[in-house]
Amino acid sequence: MSDHEHIEAQAADWLARLDRGLDDQGEVAFETWKAASTENRIAFIRLQAAWQRADRLAALRRLQDAAPEPRPFLWLKAIAAILIVCAGAGLSVAYLQAHKTAGQPFETAVGMQRSLNLADGTHIELNTDTLIHTSMSSGARTVRLDRGQAYFEVVHDARRPFVVIAGNRRITDLGTKFSVFRDGDRVEVVVKEGQVRIDLVAADPTSTPVVAERNTVVVARKAETLVAIKPQQEIDNELLWRSGMLVFNQTSLADVADEMNRYNTREIDVVGSARNIRIGGSFRRDNIEGFKQLLRDGFGLKIVEADDKTVISN
Amino acid sequence: MKDDVEQWFAREILPLEPVLESYLRRSWHDQSEVQDIRQDAYIRVYEAALREKPFNPKHFLFQVARNLMVDRLRRKNVVFFDSFGDFEAIDAGEDLPDLERSTAARQEMNILLAALKELPARCREVVTLRKIDGLSQREVAKKMGITEDKVEHQVSKGVRLLAKSLYGSRMLVVSGARRRMGRLGILSK
Repeated sequence: MSDHEHIEAQAADWLARLDRGLDDQGEVAFETWKAASTENRIAFIRLQAAWQRADRLAALRRLQDAAPEPRPFLWLKAIAAILIVCAGAGLSVAYLQAHKTAGQPFETAVGMQRSLNLADGTHIELNTDTLIHTSMSSGARTVRLDRGQAYFEVVHDARRPFVVIAGNRRITDLGTKFSVFRDGDRVEVVVKEGQVRIDLVAADPTSTPVVAERNTVVVARKAETLVAIKPQQEIDNELLWRSGMLVFNQTSLADVADEMNRYNTREIDVVGSARNIRIGGSFRRDNIEGFKQLLRDGFGLKIVEADDKTVISN
Repeated sequence: MKDDVEQWFAREILPLEPVLESYLRRSWHDQSEVQDIRQDAYIRVYEAALREKPFNPKHFLFQVARNLMVDRLRRKNVVFFDSFGDFEAIDAGEDLPDLERSTAARQEMNILLAALKELPARCREVVTLRKIDGLSQREVAKKMGITEDKVEHQVSKGVRLLAKSLYGSRMLVVSGARRRMGRLGILSK
């Protein structure tokens, strides 16, 4: 085996391993391998690009299988590829005094992010188009998530519980790093560390609270609550928005556009059969032009700039 | 930064591989060295891009490949049997349509299917379940009744074979007549 073939074989093994997610040790080994030489890195990029190109075969799925089994939360799944992430620009840090935070609003516009530190040491990061109200008292710490997505690193204090109210759900910190995303009546909680308890705001004797551990994604809507345990890598990907990246794995273009649209005022509308194309990869959320170019060049899609939106079709 | 360059590399450079490889095969006397030269060119382009991305990626890639060939000839202490004109292939490369950009979606699907068809049976089954049915590797293992390790092994094999046929694909349409290029040869010394 030549050197080149040997390296390629290693790269292929890594790529194959990523599908199940790497543990911390594996991640370090992978990063070390990639950093060891540019040749390693390139061998990996090259195979990964070919492997992703084969994602387009998913278009055949419709022909083969008239009624594909539903995979409702597929968009949650993110590729396990390791991404060295450049921290997104535009994070501003605000230090707040506790006595000033009673019912205080914090807001981000579309495409913006913001991070804040509360006086109790709790760290909050707001994603695009988000509004929260914080209220701090000696007995309780409450954040109301009116819309959008926020990540919390809570300094736990049993005497002063930290509670996030999102729609009809109450998320109570039990020593935790977690994010909450509210999209209308749908609430999604991603738990990175520790535990949170999730229950309905209105007392309802028929419902029991859900306690979600680390590496869990909870999706709640109306009275329903779905709990999914994920590999740590996927959880990290779920939270990549914090550094300005979006990661997709086998995600339909329609879902990708929905996600992109959260960050940009100019809407992307995918129409027709293009909606079902599945793509993977990582994108800077503010690089809409690059994304459109990729769809045009890589997938041969038509991009039409209408007055109020961008229309993408086959 | 690296992440950004990786994406740039996958987007701008890798799609040029079939064109680059046929250029190298036409120009270089020893076919067994073509892959080495290609990898060397990749490394140089990638490392250059970490500092600054070239304005014209294709031109830059071919220029790097050309320089690498010249360097190799110098090291081998050989002389050209043809003039430098042989390297006009670079310009021919400039005229070639970009593979990805000119490949219609249908044609791309044909390339992918042909690549899939070439895989050994078991490997093909794994790749089909993974890529067409969209199963995870774990789900593939369950469905086929084999271990996830075995699926990984097949994926590892499959991805290399796929890359080989995808990057080696000659299905691109080359516009315009191409001059017959002489190879750089060894005139013993």
